[in-house]
Amino acid sequence: MNFPAELRYSQTHEWARRDGNRVRVGITEYAQHEISDVVYVELPKPNGAAEKGKGVAVVESVKAAFDIYAPVSGEVVLTNRELESNPALVNQDPYGRGWFFEIELKNPSEWETLLSAEQYQAQCTTTH
Amino acid sequence: MTTVVKRLPLHELHAKAGGHFGAFGDWEVPLYFTSILDEHEAVRTQAGIFDISHMGEFFVSGKAAKGFLDFLLPRKMERLQDGKALYAPLLNEEGGIVDDLIVYQLSPERFLLIVNAANIEKDFEFIRHHLPTGSVELENASERKSLFALQGPRSLEIAEALFRCDFKSLGYYHFLTLKTDWGELFCSRTGYTGEDGFEIMPDAPQAASLWEAIFSAGKAKGLKPIGFGARDTLRLEAGMLLYGQDMDDTTSPVEAGLAWAVDFDKKNFLGWPRVHEEKEKGPARKLVGFEMTERGIPRHGFQMEKAGKALGPVTSGGPAPTLKKNIGLGYVPAAEAKVGNELEIVIRNQKVKAKVVPLPFYKRKRS
Repeated sequence: MNFPAELRYSQTHEWARRDGNRVRVGITEYAQHEISDVVYVELPKPNGAAEKGKGVAVVESVKAAFDIYAPVSGEVVLTNRELESNPALVNQDPYGRGWFFEIELKNPSEWETLLSAEQYQAQCTTTH
Repeated sequence: MTTVVKRLPLHELHAKAGGHFGAFGDWEVPLYFTSILDEHEAVRTQAGIFDISHMGEFFVSGKAAKGFLDFLLPRKMERLQDGKALYAPLLNEEGGIVDDLIVYQLSPERFLLIVNAANIEKDFEFIRHHLPTGSVELENASERKSLFALQGPRSLEIAEALFRCDFKSLGYYHFLTLKTDWGELFCSRTGYTGEDGFEIMPDAPQAASLWEAIFSAGKAKGLKPIGFGARDTLRLEAGMLLYGQDMDDTTSPVEAGLAWAVDFDKKNFLGWPRVHEEKEKGPARKLVGFEMTERGIPRHGFQMEKAGKALGPVTSGGPAPTLKKNIGLGYVPAAEAKVGNELEIVIRNQKVKAKVVPLPFYKRKRS
């Protein structure tokens, strides 16, 4: 399973990619595998506020719905509307075209609280 | 509540085949092997094999057995003959649905009932309570019987290759008893997917070797093992109800859209007064099928509304992979049950539009 080293991770299986103060968020390969077929995605409203640890999006498999939590606080500045018509991208390309939204980072110090690839991978192997 | 986790006799075999397990009532069952969508597609276009050994099997025997079943079930047992099966709701005295089952006539004095897993104990007690003394025997054979469902457009050729036997003349809701390498096998043309198919009942000790043999016979014909996830999406598309979700001890068959499985001209059966009254006057509420007309997936327990007024809960809901829509079932006041009626489903505090559609959602093209 793939855990790209340049990304940071949350304990709730989101990944975060930072470019300046812009943080792109998606769910990890491990998470999409556990969820299995993604058939529906509900994205946050653009320009809404996201708070670290709070649910901002929803991903649904055939059987159930799962919250996607903001890994950092800030304003949601962009969402991946492509997922609305093609939710299977979350399974097919979780770190690429399957991204969910971008947040303008409010407290850069929050970035440092996220897990490294190594730490996240360790979490996945102990819980599984 | 104490939960006793029960497992299918072939649990280890399913685990080795890559099964992802989850809960179904008290049972831990394979939810999927590869993915629910893949397995759903396989059953619609090729074939799938389900291990449904959790289900219950009762034998009802004796000279008075048929007369007893005529009283116990709201269908005329004169419809049955050797080799013929009937779907029927099992009703309590108040006309509520204790279970839905299939009754098979093995001989004029011996019948098989296949009942839902979650209801085995309840049904057994209920039937025993009504049993006439001495003249009818009731046996719960659930532990010594396994049950597989072979479903899909290619299930006929797979069954014929496996058993070297002609099934083309076996009609829907008919069955055969075959002498095979796995002993005497009961094999019926029934299912819970909306596709052609068979349900095959080996004795438990033969189950593993039969499962492997069905696999070998079907592998080159696209056969896949199917989990309970796809079983649910397939039955929902086919407009088939799930006991405990779409109906329970308080629901009447008229409300549930099962009036076709009641012979109203027969008066002496359990639950007759209520079902007769509802048939005459119309039920207060009715089960409807609906499809979402806006984005959103309805789920069991979500509220249905119309103009701010609650109509009732969604009893089953989810994506319909073959139809590429999101669909559901639920009870609404009879006045709101018309096809085309626009409703709203409350999904995470948002009202999302839906409309009532005819059932079943999916009907296979017959060749």
